[in-house]
Amino acid sequence: MGETEEFIIPVGPQHPALKEPTNFTITVDGEYVVDAKARPGYNHRGVEKAMESRTYIQNLYLLERVCGICSICHMTNFCLTVEEAMGLEVPARANYIRTIMHEIERLHSHSLWLGVAAHEIGFDTLFYYIWRDREVIMDLTESISGNRVNKAMPTIGGVRRNISPELLRDIRKGLDIFEERIKYYKSLILKETTVLNRAIRVGVLTPHDAVALCAVGPTLRASGIKSDVRADDPYLVFDEVPFNVMTHDGCDVASRVIVRCDEMFESINVIRYCLDHMPDGPIRVKVPVIMRVPETETVCLWEAPRGELIHYLKSTGGTTPYRYKIRAPTLGNIPSVQRMLIGNYIADIPIVIAAIDPCFSCTDRMTFVDVNTEKNWVWDSEQLRRYSRKWYQQNSH
Amino acid sequence: MVSTELALKVVEILVFPGFFFLIVYALFLEWVDRKFFARLQNRYGPEHTGWKGILQPWADLIKLLAKEDITPAAADKIMFAAVPIVYLAIPLTIMFMVPIWNSNAYIGFPGDLIVVIFLFTLLILSVFFGGWSSVNRFGIVGGLRAALQMLSYEIPMALAAVGPAILAKSLSISNIAAWPSKVFAGNLTPYSVAVGAATVFVMAVGFGIFTLCMIAELEKIPFDIPEAETEIVSGWQVEFSGKKLALLRLGSDIELVAASALMTALFLGGPLGPWPIPPVVWFIVKTTICVLIISNVRALFPRFRIDQMSHWMWKNIVPIAVLYIVAVEMLAAVM
Amino acid sequence: MAMEPELLKHLTKKPATLLYPFEKRPAPKGLRGRHKWHADKCIGCGLCAQVCPAFAIELDGRGLEIKGWTVHLDRCVFCAQCAEVCPVNAIELTQEHELAGYDRGGITLKFTKALPTQADEPKSEKK
Repeated sequence: MGETEEFIIPVGPQHPALKEPTNFTITVDGEYVVDAKARPGYNHRGVEKAMESRTYIQNLYLLERVCGICSICHMTNFCLTVEEAMGLEVPARANYIRTIMHEIERLHSHSLWLGVAAHEIGFDTLFYYIWRDREVIMDLTESISGNRVNKAMPTIGGVRRNISPELLRDIRKGLDIFEERIKYYKSLILKETTVLNRAIRVGVLTPHDAVALCAVGPTLRASGIKSDVRADDPYLVFDEVPFNVMTHDGCDVASRVIVRCDEMFESINVIRYCLDHMPDGPIRVKVPVIMRVPETETVCLWEAPRGELIHYLKSTGGTTPYRYKIRAPTLGNIPSVQRMLIGNYIADIPIVIAAIDPCFSCTDRMTFVDVNTEKNWVWDSEQLRRYSRKWYQQNSH
Repeated sequence: MVSTELALKVVEILVFPGFFFLIVYALFLEWVDRKFFARLQNRYGPEHTGWKGILQPWADLIKLLAKEDITPAAADKIMFAAVPIVYLAIPLTIMFMVPIWNSNAYIGFPGDLIVVIFLFTLLILSVFFGGWSSVNRFGIVGGLRAALQMLSYEIPMALAAVGPAILAKSLSISNIAAWPSKVFAGNLTPYSVAVGAATVFVMAVGFGIFTLCMIAELEKIPFDIPEAETEIVSGWQVEFSGKKLALLRLGSDIELVAASALMTALFLGGPLGPWPIPPVVWFIVKTTICVLIISNVRALFPRFRIDQMSHWMWKNIVPIAVLYIVAVEMLAAVM
Repeated sequence: MAMEPELLKHLTKKPATLLYPFEKRPAPKGLRGRHKWHADKCIGCGLCAQVCPAFAIELDGRGLEIKGWTVHLDRCVFCAQCAEVCPVNAIELTQEHELAGYDRGGITLKFTKALPTQADEPKSEKK
């Protein structure tokens, strides 16, 4: 039996399939992928360290820039964390406006993803059409918040801008147009056999693997598991707004497409409910500009478009946070990607990586650099555990 | 002393219908392709260089010629330098055997259809060597995919091309191009109308198969597997830069001209038509229509995966091509 | 093949591209663009410089003797926190968003306030 040579293909850090730098070292045999190893860490910017020397209001805008696509998620989750630590009660209208911005961002993120997924399989026409229709959402965002990407709407204690009645009408009109187009794209994708050939039974993640490898978000819901932070642990107004958790049983890339399209329809319904039931009242409570947060530890969960987002704050009573930790959803999905890539073709690598909707800007939190030898590396959990055991043995007395 | 005949032949080869005309026409067809593709996608395409961007392919070519030409240290230098030249030379050679100026090609001889099919195969062989000699992982994968793709579409292409040859009873492309004008010029009887309609239908099937194989040959979506941009970053062309890349792009454009010229010569009657217009104009009109068809297919589908392409070609297209040859044989018997 | 009717429909539609800079769309109201400093309102409290997340604001002087206000646009993130925190609404973010230039001269926005003399009124000018 002849021996096949194993051939290593590096996907990243520069590769047209990736929108942000990361590295997947893929071992192939002909066209089959035999093994995949992920090495994130190229996008580490020291955000958490920078947060420790800025006041809470300044940190708001630093967190906005952790990721461009989920900027509202990080900002609002930060506000929720700090408000919980300070015991602030946010007015109802502010919560409704925050929910509207949250779901508008989900629409923008999922339609961006749909276009990018079409591009990864070579369907540029669909990519251009979807991004043209996404401009409706971008224009709405610009009218509401003053900027297309860095929306800067929430603040500690409420939101910064109100939504006028004309803007409410514009939002409704924009949503109607957008919903028509997304219905057309979903029906097109389900009819077009060439697209389905690239998506069905590609990147399969069984439900057992999904749970064992800590998958989150639509990746998890496309394997049939009903898990959504908005339903399990409601925040903002999700305990009042009726909405469904969309799942699909296919466990492959096509299911992830279907789950995200369904989530878009659900988001449109949530926004419409919020527009119909928006209470009047103030949009923020007054907080001091240089605020002191009492000595607590707080954790807040959030359902970002990519999955479950965790923020942790430890404060020692000062004007700057003592420690702030962000666990982005993509970090939870990377082990699943390594499992999903095996057994597929090289041609499937871009679409499988894109199917988890990677946002490596959010993800990269820690990498090791030895400044003396200029080596850098990333540890896996076993090495980290060994190091921590050794450290505690040496330093506990 | 250079005789005027020799001088005329040199001018014909270099200018018209030779190299200069082919290069200008290839860059024009690239502009048509890009504009139509863009309009289908609700955008402008090239817009500002020249009238509606018609000089954009020229600008791209000249820019590439001015860029730095880097050869990888581990590459096979002779093969690496030879591949762009071969990739440019082969479509030019093919074009000399296809009728442009009048119903006779510049170098037409019985059997040139087989030579043209062989030259297309040689082209893909040079693609494979281009990928192999770049000693780059992506290049090697791209070259291997090009070779695998060639194995899939060669048979249907040859079968589809042989159909009109059987009906025209000749293996010379010029004779095949002249055949519809001769056959459809007779008087109309119900029998001849029925046979004519059947011929048109069967030839349409052959045209469809040949177009698909030409799209695979040209490495355009849905068959741009050897240079899949999002998967293997330009595939076999990944290490070429500067002048070599300019030659490759020019060769790819002239390949488009050759493919559409072959499509018109075999199936659409070449540079001849019912109205008394110069044959060159017929040639330009018909090849532009072929390019528009190719652009439309380009905008319509995503990229196939290489195993799906092989399966689909062998399981679906080859049987259709065989049935098509059977139908052509029956038609040839009654004509 | 399912998309062919949609494709052919687009041949008759106008392309969706905006041919900037030959065609421009007006900016929406509330766009966070270039800053404007109202010198007559400013009381020189310095809250804007304290709260800026990018440390982009410099004050020339303090209190009512404030002489000038500078914002470094290459550090500014256009969050409008300075405008929000100003107690007298002396800072305004206008809708001007075409801020690119060929040199660094336009990057630093320096506003000065002429001190009142016996004869003239205080006026603010942008340099």
